[in-house]
Amino acid sequence: MDFFDTFPAMDRQGLRDLKKGIDSSFREFSRSYGEGIEDFFEPLLHFLVWLEKLLINAPWPVVIVGIAILAWLGSRSWKLVAGTVIAFLVIGYFGMWKDTMATLAIISVATLLCISFGIPLGIWMARSERVQLAITPVLDVMQTIPSFVYLIPVVMLLGIGKVPGLIAVCIYAIPPLVRLTNLGIRLVDKEVLEAADAFGADNRQKLFGVQIPLALPNIFAGVNQTIMMSLAMVVIASMIGVKGLGLPVLRAVSNQYLALGLLNGLAIVVLAIIFDRVSQAYGRRLQAHREGTGHD
Amino acid sequence: MMIGKSLLAIMFNVHKFVLMLKEEFELMRKLFIGLAVASSALLGLSTSAFSGAHAKCGDVTMAEMNWASAELMANIDKVILEEGYGCKVELVAGATMPSFTSMNEKGQPDVAAELWINAVRNPLNKAMKEGRLHSVVEGPITELGEGWWIPPHTRKKHPELKTVLDILKRPDLFPHSEDKSKGAFVGCPAGWGCQLANNNLFRAFEMEKKGWVLVDPGSAAGLDGSMSKAAERGENWFGYYWAPTALIGKYNMVPLDFGVPFAGKENWDGCIVKAEQDCANPKPSAWTKSEVHTVITDRFKKEGGAAVTYLTKRIVPGPVMNAMLVFMADQQAGGADAAVEFLKKHEAIWSKWVSSDAAKKIKKAL
Repeated sequence: MDFFDTFPAMDRQGLRDLKKGIDSSFREFSRSYGEGIEDFFEPLLHFLVWLEKLLINAPWPVVIVGIAILAWLGSRSWKLVAGTVIAFLVIGYFGMWKDTMATLAIISVATLLCISFGIPLGIWMARSERVQLAITPVLDVMQTIPSFVYLIPVVMLLGIGKVPGLIAVCIYAIPPLVRLTNLGIRLVDKEVLEAADAFGADNRQKLFGVQIPLALPNIFAGVNQTIMMSLAMVVIASMIGVKGLGLPVLRAVSNQYLALGLLNGLAIVVLAIIFDRVSQAYGRRLQAHREGTGHD
Repeated sequence: MMIGKSLLAIMFNVHKFVLMLKEEFELMRKLFIGLAVASSALLGLSTSAFSGAHAKCGDVTMAEMNWASAELMANIDKVILEEGYGCKVELVAGATMPSFTSMNEKGQPDVAAELWINAVRNPLNKAMKEGRLHSVVEGPITELGEGWWIPPHTRKKHPELKTVLDILKRPDLFPHSEDKSKGAFVGCPAGWGCQLANNNLFRAFEMEKKGWVLVDPGSAAGLDGSMSKAAERGENWFGYYWAPTALIGKYNMVPLDFGVPFAGKENWDGCIVKAEQDCANPKPSAWTKSEVHTVITDRFKKEGGAAVTYLTKRIVPGPVMNAMLVFMADQQAGGADAAVEFLKKHEAIWSKWVSSDAAKKIKKAL
């Protein structure tokens, strides 16, 4: 009966030894390879620091004009550009300029990094069943594992600051992009591909000329999700020492400063909305262009 | 970390609590006068009736606070009082605020082994003046408190860096990962009370001018991680932490002398712990002393006899406490297991606290 009443668990000593073993082997790993890994990320860190300094030290009107131009290039919509400019003016007016610039720097880099890894990964997944089988569970882990579980080893390896923050953000934000890229390419009509075959397109031509253009709506939905999720991670990233809008939020949370939390939280939201609208509009424009010159 | 958390809870609640207590006190005082009359009559009776019964201390309730070092303290007391002095000890789970309030208002539990005073200073002073509570020992654990630390290997490699002032001259030894030309000083996590103190001391010591950056670790996990990483890898690290904690013990972190004296209460309470805009001219100062007392109720002081004498002598050296915390963390041991471990391992320490007769009994029980 005893067997059914208490779960036949590992004994306490064994469990303790197991945990200790894992801890100490990670410690060994961190001791021997930590520095190398840090050096590997050094260029990325330099780039991040450079971008942040650039955004913070540049005169604010220049930055706003720069952002407005980017918004225009992306969306070709005066309304959006005007909204962006007003939003940044308000943010600056409420004294959140520096933090917003820091956040902008890390989020832009995080998004670029995610796109440059996420889309190729998604394409690879779409082209091979085996890769899909292997990567899907990894994506599941990345999306569901509580952030602090991987923050501990990341901090032990890389210390606190921008690079570990960036990695934490990307771990969380990259999966939707990979998934949606994969899905988009897989959803491309078989008949269209057959037609491409019939025209004698090789694999590369099929991918870049047919599959990716047709998968663009999905890919852009993925990019959009990635941006949103990386902004959502700003606060978590601040918990390992990333400067930006997350720090005042943390301060607000532990002191119950309602206004401070609200202002900085809303600034994050505003950033997200701008990123989102501009990237969406850009995506729509890309597709409209394709459709316009396509052969319907 | 528990202490850090409680400290922080403390700091934020003090203000509200003091306000609340002011009202309570008026009520309490009226009640208390009545109670005092009644209880002194009773006590008079009991002491005269059982004046010979000192050896038996009876039932004692002790607060077992919710952080590791206090857990251990309470459990050590429990074993020693039960085995050595024949008390019947009941541990009551608690935390600084609730336990103190309960002791102050209801006279229960009888003993708080590790009570951090900063949070409860005003009401405690009042209670002590009125004779409801008594402090039997100041600093039941030595070398505790907040401050600025470096890892032991830094001390070994650079023995000339004795004080904070010495370190401040060498930002090059503690390079900031994001700007190698600056030194990194790891401050207190965003939103904690100690963040203000660290910010203001950073300004008071003119650290920016001396080539330092104040790094906000963002959270307790960030601070712990940054310190452990440096300690594990043999890198230099300079930052804020507090003791007694398992991490300090695990890595044998070295507390730094500030190189300047404590610059007065006015400077600390009126400036250093305030927001930057309320502290225009912070003066360099050593960290304020964290006062920790063992506090007991009036009833226990009168009836405890030898048990109270034991409490007055019971002082755990800081390094020993830190080592015990490491043991607790490594073995995932609770307070009770750790107390037994302490009593077995450090007889030289605790045997001085008790009479030789009690020592024999305790040893036998182990």
